[in-house]
Amino acid sequence: MINSIFLQFLTGIQLGAIYVLISLGLALIFGTLGVVNFAHGAMFMVAAYLGVVISQAEWGGWGMAIVLVPIILFVLGLAMERGLIRFFYTRPHTDQILVTFGLAIVLQEALKWGFGANNLPFATPDWGSGIMRLHDYLPFLEGFVAYPKWRLILTAVSLITVAGLFALLQFTTFGLVVRAGMRDSEMLRLLGINISQRFAIVFALGVSIAGIAGVWGGPVTQVDPGIGMVFLVPSFLVVVIGGMGSLPGAVLASFIIGLAISFSATIPALANIIVYLIAILILLFRPRGLMGQKGVME
Amino acid sequence: MAILEIKDVSKNFGGLAALGDANLTVEEGTIHSLIGPNGAGKSTLLNVLVGLLEPDVGTVLFKGQPVLGKAPYEINQMGLSRVFQTPAIFDDMSVLENVAIAAYAARDGAYAFNVFETPSSAKPCIDLAKETLNDVGLFEQRKIIASHLSRGDKRRLEMALCLARGPDLLLLDEPTAGMARADTENTIKLLQRISDKGGITMVIVEHDMNVVFSLSKYISCLAQGRIIAEGAPDEMKGNPKVIEAYLGTESEE
Amino acid sequence: MNSANSAFYKKDILPVGAFAAVLLTMPFWFEYVGGYSGLDTKIVIWIIFAIGFDILLGYMGFLSFGHAAFFGTSAYFTGLMLLHYSDNILPAIAVGVISAIIMAFIIGFLTLKRTGIYFSILTLAFGEMLHSMVLSTLQDWTGGDNGLTGLPTPMLFGLKMQGDNVFYLTVIVAIVMYYIARRIISSPFGLMLKAIKSNQVRLEYTGVHVARYKLMGFVISAVYAGVAGALMIVYEPYVASEFMGWHLSGQVVIMSVLGGVGTLFGPMLGAAFMLYFENVVSVTIGEQWLLVLGAIFMLTVIFLPGGFVEAGSKIKKKLMGGSK
Repeated sequence: MINSIFLQFLTGIQLGAIYVLISLGLALIFGTLGVVNFAHGAMFMVAAYLGVVISQAEWGGWGMAIVLVPIILFVLGLAMERGLIRFFYTRPHTDQILVTFGLAIVLQEALKWGFGANNLPFATPDWGSGIMRLHDYLPFLEGFVAYPKWRLILTAVSLITVAGLFALLQFTTFGLVVRAGMRDSEMLRLLGINISQRFAIVFALGVSIAGIAGVWGGPVTQVDPGIGMVFLVPSFLVVVIGGMGSLPGAVLASFIIGLAISFSATIPALANIIVYLIAILILLFRPRGLMGQKGVME
Repeated sequence: MAILEIKDVSKNFGGLAALGDANLTVEEGTIHSLIGPNGAGKSTLLNVLVGLLEPDVGTVLFKGQPVLGKAPYEINQMGLSRVFQTPAIFDDMSVLENVAIAAYAARDGAYAFNVFETPSSAKPCIDLAKETLNDVGLFEQRKIIASHLSRGDKRRLEMALCLARGPDLLLLDEPTAGMARADTENTIKLLQRISDKGGITMVIVEHDMNVVFSLSKYISCLAQGRIIAEGAPDEMKGNPKVIEAYLGTESEE
Repeated sequence: MNSANSAFYKKDILPVGAFAAVLLTMPFWFEYVGGYSGLDTKIVIWIIFAIGFDILLGYMGFLSFGHAAFFGTSAYFTGLMLLHYSDNILPAIAVGVISAIIMAFIIGFLTLKRTGIYFSILTLAFGEMLHSMVLSTLQDWTGGDNGLTGLPTPMLFGLKMQGDNVFYLTVIVAIVMYYIARRIISSPFGLMLKAIKSNQVRLEYTGVHVARYKLMGFVISAVYAGVAGALMIVYEPYVASEFMGWHLSGQVVIMSVLGGVGTLFGPMLGAAFMLYFENVVSVTIGEQWLLVLGAIFMLTVIFLPGGFVEAGSKIKKKLMGGSK
């Protein structure tokens, strides 16, 4: 009994950890720049493909993939913001959605063209493969309890990323400016702070986190051209449930969703729609989301 | 007879009292000005009246009916229209369409599913819209897209929009702010004409004392969230309390 | 805003007449431009869908990414009616469209309180919720991944609904619905929808119950989606689970924007273009047709927000200027 509850809990946390990684960048970009990036899922997908390619290349390997993919995605994000998104700040919001949606299609179809429509095998590295015997460490577990090692590593990476981002925002001048920008970007502009340069970095940072999600999460999800869209919807819901523009909200919502899915897994009919049901309840009873600021997007 | 009664209305913003026990009575048919230094709570009061803000305590009666807790459109349907400080109009629609919207809202109430209405039954509304545009002097520009109007004309358009709704009480938030001398004079004349013609009650928030004293029948001075002095224009001229209120904040401004 | 009624109706006769003429004669010319029988019916069905979508996006200014919910709900209910009740299409279509209307009230109530961005996200989410429900939760009814199969040949008073019969049925429905859309747009109700797009706050402070207009505008667009979904089943008696998917929602977004929203004509043109591109042009381009389409779509959003209609009027302006 205790074993199954513990495993469900662990699975919930681990699912939540993936959702956090994917939705954190989305929430950051939305909260700071007010841009809803429909191509965010596609960024995750690109990162996963890059992960496969680099980790399996002769010149590459897993270590290189872990380092390179987030960097490449950061550069990609910079290019995307400078080359595309910045022209859309003054356009209607729907245009931002449309153009990022178009980009998502183009990226998806391009990868389909290059790699085919099928799922690419994405093997975990040796040091991350196999299982971990949890009962060796946790005395309250009864008998033999094991968990895939990679999923535990993924969870740890996710938590470290969250901590890193929060530290960056909390303890650096850059973070101070970004947080101020989330409150009132007009004010910052009046203070003469070069917002547009910071916008580019924030955008790239958000995309880079999707890169971390792609390379670490790829082995447990799938790597196929449809994966971006598959993850886009739940990460939107995370942002809605957590509160538009709230990073702590996104983290909290991710784990709530992960746990809800995990604990309802015994009833498949429910597990498939539980995320939506939570979102509906939130919309009905707390429209600004769990931790959304009053008046923001309400 | 009082058309608007504000009783003991208080509103705090995080410990800062924007309004503290504000009391105000507006008589029907008058032009009533609300003056006071910046931060006195004039905008907060207007926002409470139109349903944008909910006060912490107090009552507001409009034509004897409670206003608080009602949605903005309901308050408007009761006969209270507001002209905003920065012109709020339908930018990408024609001048005539702007006013026609208000005319339909006056005729149909808050909602009507009139998807197949023909122009002949809509004609009275269009005529009303044209007439109102004529009143504010925008008839010639009726086919222009509203965003192409000058700032002064935009404000006139918003007035037309509010007037076409047939309000009993018109709230005007700094109707001459940022206007050139000649435009200000025109606006004064326009407001005077509207008041004489339709007997519409007006509450005007204004900084330009020239406007205030040439239009108002009654003036209330607001400072630090409460009414500190009120009376006819003659009584208010040189009222020491009013001068003190303005001087007191001069150093801060 | 003409003063006389006769002038008002005349305003509609020409475009609706031209629309009818083009559609009705399609079987005679369509194959000369590479089309084939059946594709014309599909184009007409998508045109109906796109008209309704434009009322929501082009006039009211709300970008829905979940309109498959209404197309799909109607398609499933139409299919279920044909399968379990009667092969007569009239009750099937009626139930299908009504189900889409009910769904629109529910989803609209939940999503429309929010701003544009929020609305797009939420409609996408609710659309995907229904998609995942037909795939798993409701699969005993919907056939899950396989879709709803084994439907009888749809009938209309002893007439088999196949080939030309379906084509002319959809064309007649499309003409009527195009006319209705034009009337809605030029009515006071349509003016309110445009005002919502322009300035919701001002409209609220003009005494208009904005929320109800938004909900009804949303429901009207869902009716068009529902009619299109039902006709799709009459055209091809099989309900695919993709009818509920975001791909379908995305498709109607793409065609509307390509054609030019807020014009009714643009999205219809976009619908025709997209299906033609998908089924005819794709033969020459091959597998990558969607990549090309995606690129065209992006370029349109970036450089030509008004779509084909804007391009057309720009070209026209240039030609007129040149002739002077």
